[in-house]
Amino acid sequence: MSNTQSRAPRPVADERVALKARRVSFSWDRTPLHWIPDDPFTTHTINVLHLLLPAGERWFVHVYKQVLPYIRDDRLREDVIGFIGQEAMHSQAHDEVLPHLKEQGLDPTPYTAQVDWFFEKLLGDRTLPPGRAREWWLMERVALIAAIEHYTAFLGDWVLNADELDRKGADPTMLDLLRWHGAEEVEHRSVAFELFEHVDGGYRRRVRTWALAFSALMFLWQRGARFFMENDPTVLDGKASFKEFYRGGKRGVLPSTGAMVKSIPRYLSRSYHPSQEGSTAQAVAYLAGSPAATAAEARTPNGAV
Amino acid sequence: MPRLRTPRLRTVLLVTGSALLARRALRRRIQASPLWPMPALEEPVSGRPRARALRLLVTRHESVADGVVQLRLEGQDLPAWEPGAHLDLVLPSGLIRQYSLCGDPEDTSSYTVATRLIADGRGGSREVHEQLQEGSEIEVRGPRNRFPLAAGAPSYVFVAGGIGITPILPMLRALEARGADWRLLYAGRTRASMPFLEEAEKLGGERGRVSVVAEDEGGRPDLAGLLADSAPDTAVYCCGPEGLMEAVAAALPGHCELHLERFAPHTSADGNGPFEVELRRSGRTVPVPAGTSVLAAVRAEVPNVSYSCEQGFCGTCQQRVLEGEVDHRDELLTDSERDDSMLICVSRARGERLVLDL
Repeated sequence: MSNTQSRAPRPVADERVALKARRVSFSWDRTPLHWIPDDPFTTHTINVLHLLLPAGERWFVHVYKQVLPYIRDDRLREDVIGFIGQEAMHSQAHDEVLPHLKEQGLDPTPYTAQVDWFFEKLLGDRTLPPGRAREWWLMERVALIAAIEHYTAFLGDWVLNADELDRKGADPTMLDLLRWHGAEEVEHRSVAFELFEHVDGGYRRRVRTWALAFSALMFLWQRGARFFMENDPTVLDGKASFKEFYRGGKRGVLPSTGAMVKSIPRYLSRSYHPSQEGSTAQAVAYLAGSPAATAAEARTPNGAV
Repeated sequence: MPRLRTPRLRTVLLVTGSALLARRALRRRIQASPLWPMPALEEPVSGRPRARALRLLVTRHESVADGVVQLRLEGQDLPAWEPGAHLDLVLPSGLIRQYSLCGDPEDTSSYTVATRLIADGRGGSREVHEQLQEGSEIEVRGPRNRFPLAAGAPSYVFVAGGIGITPILPMLRALEARGADWRLLYAGRTRASMPFLEEAEKLGGERGRVSVVAEDEGGRPDLAGLLADSAPDTAVYCCGPEGLMEAVAAALPGHCELHLERFAPHTSADGNGPFEVELRRSGRTVPVPAGTSVLAAVRAEVPNVSYSCEQGFCGTCQQRVLEGEVDHRDELLTDSERDDSMLICVSRARGERLVLDL
């Protein structure tokens, strides 16, 4: 490759789609506790999403509302506004799974109350004087979101292609939730990074916040999986281990450890742009056939409620 | 040399030993409580969604009056509801429609709703009539109550127009069980088109508490006469066509309190009139012209006000309301959120002015 090319991150192709929130609705009363039959570990490892996302995506919305005044590009503003609505719906949809878990004897509150603390207090609006300090903390969080979105897009792309879950007989409603969400993550995967590049874009900040986001995700994820396995009333002496995660990746029911490791240098590369990951066409195709997304389409014809 | 080596070895042993001890202690600690040591939010936010979807089985689909079907939707351990509450039905096409619950609130295994077929409507009622056959499944959300029955009124007056009897029926049963003082005026086009007529008349008993006015027999209901001799602080409840509700509002004596339930607040073009919004923190007042949303008007003044779906479901544009009565048209906020906030993309003022904390 020629070295004269600009190294500034840029999209691989202009696949831009107008982002809009979809008014989805899922009912959980038919979904079994182990929605991947006879595989509590995989079920619960994926279930950790329901623990992290309600608070996490609410926090995204909270931060992005504050960053709107910093956007000087109308097209980006439009994307961010679409992004906010999609994230708000993701948060609501995952939140509705939690009472269902509780009804099945697996009360997630001890864990979610901590995740709430993590996003609302630790990463919330700190008592900072207006001006540079406050702006620094806002930019730090915008960069954190860009790093997290690298992983949500990674997971979205993974779940859209995880055919092994279908073969294992996973619950169709849960798969539709995960894939609707995953497809929207793929659809809007460039927004958080482009916003970060637009308002700050510092490489050192990108690396620093990636390290923070990555460690926090790993910490919270293994903790969530352990929490579920230990508190599942139907699993005796349940344990979550890295070995099992690794094996799940080999079998294709979880993201593979190798792919996860390989995605790290990609985000840290100076020429990274999220459009290099995943496929918008695949995401749009899934949304066109998703039961939840097509029903959402029917209930909002041309914006008339 | 040996004099140097001994303390070194001792140090290594000490460090290794304490590291092992620390690891064991940590493991035990985590085993005892796997969530140690992260703090928790005292009042958790997650896991308490505003509404949940349930999938229910249609076990009865029967005609209860001309053009009116009643559905019985069965499930298990259904959420409780109070008279006046409604349910969101997520129809097979994806459309969402609200219908008042008209069954027994004590019954936790089924919900009952009744709908009138509106030939030139938006398709929702046709779908209920034609597609929700016995044995089919339907997703519902709710129940929620926008039309609650006030507990302590000395007496109650109800005005129902046609299918508008549905939220009122459970109220009458509850009041009757309590032995409260109530009267009902039930109006409709013809007796055959009025659902639950028999039950309403039976509830009224011999004491003439229920008057039925069918347009083809008795003409227009005498609202002024009904309301004129009502006791002070009477609670008046009306559910029916827009015209009937306006007439009740016009005939209402000053000492009565009026509660209205609208069928479809979102469709009607009326009620989209102009008003003004004061943005208290910005110190500005913006006019909201007829047919324009509060969001559009506010955006002109506050360019970075947040919003997204513009259809009242994502919640991004929620703003605190300091003064003024809101005509809520969103499908998201809970009753308590509606007390002091609104979604400015769809909701409007009931009166001429709103004050937002913006």
